[in-house]
Amino acid sequence: MQDDITNADTNYDLVIVGGGIAAATVAKTVIDKAAAGRPARHPRILILEAGRATAMSADKYDTYVEAYQQALAKVPNAPYPPTVSAPQPNVLDIGRPVMGPDGTTKIPSANGYFVQMGPLPFGSDYARALGGTTLHWLGTCLRMLPNDFKMWTNYGHGVDWPLSYDDLKPYYERAEWDIIGVSANVEDQNYPGIGGDPAKFFQSSNTNKFPDGAYHFPMERIPSSYLDDYLAKKSAGLVVKLKDSAGKEYSFPILVCNTPVGRNSQPAPGYQPVGAVGNADRGQRCEGNSSCIPICPVQAKYNALKTLYELIVKYPDRDPRDGEKPRARVAIRSQCVVSKVQHTQTKGKQGTVTGVAFLRYSDDGSPAAESTVTADRYVLAANAIENATLLLASDAANNSDQVGRNLMDHPLLLTWGLLEDNAGAFRGPGSTSGIPAFRDGAYRSDRTAFRVEIGNWGWNFPENAPYDTVHDLVGGARTGTAQLYGRALRTRLGQILPNQFRIAWELEQDPEPTNRVTIDDRYLDALGNHRPVIHYDLSPYVRAALPWAAEASRQLFEQLGIGTPAHRPDYQPGDYTHWDPNDPAAVTYDGQTYWVRGAGHVVGTHRMGADPAHSVVDSYQRSHDLPNLYIVGCGSMPTLGTSNPTLTMTALAIRTGDHIAGLLKGQDA
Amino acid sequence: MSTVDTPTRPDPLAVFTELSVALTGFDRVELAGTGLIEQHYDTVLRLIGEREAGHLFQAAADALDADRGDPEGTALRTQVVENKRYGPVIINLIKLWYLGSWYPLPGSYADVNGSTADDVEHVVSAQAYREGLVWIAAGAHPMGAKAPGFGSWAEPPTIVVL
Repeated sequence: MQDDITNADTNYDLVIVGGGIAAATVAKTVIDKAAAGRPARHPRILILEAGRATAMSADKYDTYVEAYQQALAKVPNAPYPPTVSAPQPNVLDIGRPVMGPDGTTKIPSANGYFVQMGPLPFGSDYARALGGTTLHWLGTCLRMLPNDFKMWTNYGHGVDWPLSYDDLKPYYERAEWDIIGVSANVEDQNYPGIGGDPAKFFQSSNTNKFPDGAYHFPMERIPSSYLDDYLAKKSAGLVVKLKDSAGKEYSFPILVCNTPVGRNSQPAPGYQPVGAVGNADRGQRCEGNSSCIPICPVQAKYNALKTLYELIVKYPDRDPRDGEKPRARVAIRSQCVVSKVQHTQTKGKQGTVTGVAFLRYSDDGSPAAESTVTADRYVLAANAIENATLLLASDAANNSDQVGRNLMDHPLLLTWGLLEDNAGAFRGPGSTSGIPAFRDGAYRSDRTAFRVEIGNWGWNFPENAPYDTVHDLVGGARTGTAQLYGRALRTRLGQILPNQFRIAWELEQDPEPTNRVTIDDRYLDALGNHRPVIHYDLSPYVRAALPWAAEASRQLFEQLGIGTPAHRPDYQPGDYTHWDPNDPAAVTYDGQTYWVRGAGHVVGTHRMGADPAHSVVDSYQRSHDLPNLYIVGCGSMPTLGTSNPTLTMTALAIRTGDHIAGLLKGQDA
Repeated sequence: MSTVDTPTRPDPLAVFTELSVALTGFDRVELAGTGLIEQHYDTVLRLIGEREAGHLFQAAADALDADRGDPEGTALRTQVVENKRYGPVIINLIKLWYLGSWYPLPGSYADVNGSTADDVEHVVSAQAYREGLVWIAAGAHPMGAKAPGFGSWAEPPTIVVL
């Protein structure tokens, strides 16, 4: 099976480890940029995916949709079959490690793929399958804010990036147009810290494409939900006021703003929305399936399969036929788990990557075949945690001792209530709007910023609705007698479910060296590769934002007329938020218990920086220690800001692709 | 199907259907429209056994007969829903229709009636999930199916008032 990949005479221009959006973006950008160069160059690229191939045809993709519908627990990874050969984390496995009185781990929580050393469990997952976690991302495409890139200089926390917002801006535009396809209107993007004028903030230097630099997204905004409009009307004029410990008051005018998303909408002139793989007519518009996580049935939401599919159709991995113009070649091989990056580096010195060793498995349980493949350059694009474990297991690229450190996520504080009116919950994309007011401000010297995401799916996230709502109303768990049934049940559900709403307060997490991915020879997967061993906590800086988010929620709910605390199964309008101390992710601050959920934003394990002593990669995501190795993805981000990281990861990957294209050898592949 | 000249025993599927109407608040046409009457009937038979199902349907038939002309459905409530023997199965049948899932019967039920191998929490079928009545009751659609179309979520919600 491996012969086609590892012929002794096959030396690729580029071998990419991982088959998600970062890999697809680098490959596509390198090919496009190199083909447009003078002389044109046509690289040969191999993409190695550890997980299974995900369907590259619309009918086979439907089987994943069916798997989701039939799954008991409809968690993000539910549609994507797990394999012990390339295991993936599952949010159902999240348990709290037992800590000793001295703060060390007494019993790790190791019942899933992750070995959780605590004190808090890392709450996010990712998918190991072709297409990666974009298979089940929500699709939010917010750019980072200018101040997010200079956290140390401006607020004395975290570090500065080696890039500014202005440096990254043209790559954001390309990510929005050329890779993901983002739907948004510039005038909706009222963020703090951008000088008050979205049009000016989005002003483009690409005046060829945007006359006078007046930027617009490739597609119109996805319509805001009825719930968004309801909340906007009810909260009109609200100014949330929050005080710091010194008594200084900060004001946050509440404005509900439509969120940019990688989800197909009405295209701007000249833009063609990209539909489902293998069936471009499908998924031309979001159809409101209300299941972006874990799967968009029509692929109206971007996933990396779209870019990968384009690559294998345009650049098949065979010699050009007679009359065919010279072109690049792309091979994608799934079920190939890279186990080692082979290199010449010794401690404190630079070296060269000489190959990657990988195991190709067939059935779980049967032995995998080991091979090695070589290339001029190598790209690790396997997800932040996978990149880190692979580098640590290979003793590679880690002169800085930063590999695996500074692991970040957006800890989510959920608040939820029952509105007085039918607001149409359980309809539309997971979220269509947010409240950007808390994304930047002087208070970031004391506590982290946060983003406010309005959820359209009722209490699905916090209370497993509509399931638990039905259980509550039907009742009888103890008595064995149904309390509500027939028309009374139907009517009551209609009064409750569409009135449910929740908000996720997504806190920026700051980089801490002690939040880290490590490896331990005691914890291996079925193929003998290292499982991620994770140490994780929230800093006082993050925790200090919890009471602010809770208080902002209280003031908002008050304004909405649902300020009264309430509890299931009463189901009167009110504030149903509760944070139980026995939750695996309970955190305390100032004597108050909260709990946080993971956002699936796995960031920061191979941070970029100008100084090789304190960072793993440079601003092109090139390893300081192994110059023919690029370590790409969210792991390169030095800080996280309040934006969901995929758009920024994509912009960075385009910049890396441009850079690699400029280094390709002159001859055609 | 029952025939005109053998009126002694009601057709169990017909009883099941009428019972389902009373328990869900959805009429016969709405339930038939899910295409699931027979599948759910089979599921109940499979999960509690044909013998026990026979007793349940007989009790339900008697109660439904007694309730003709009683919009309160008193007989059904007192003789079936509140009956210790049938109550847990009734709860499961409501949830089967509303959520498309089967939930394990309580231990006290299994102590008396035994249990079957499939009596664990499971989604009965993808179709049962898609046709779950909870979505209609909510004025919505099943998450991940029956997409209502671009921009539909911006429209004011509607719910059928009974």
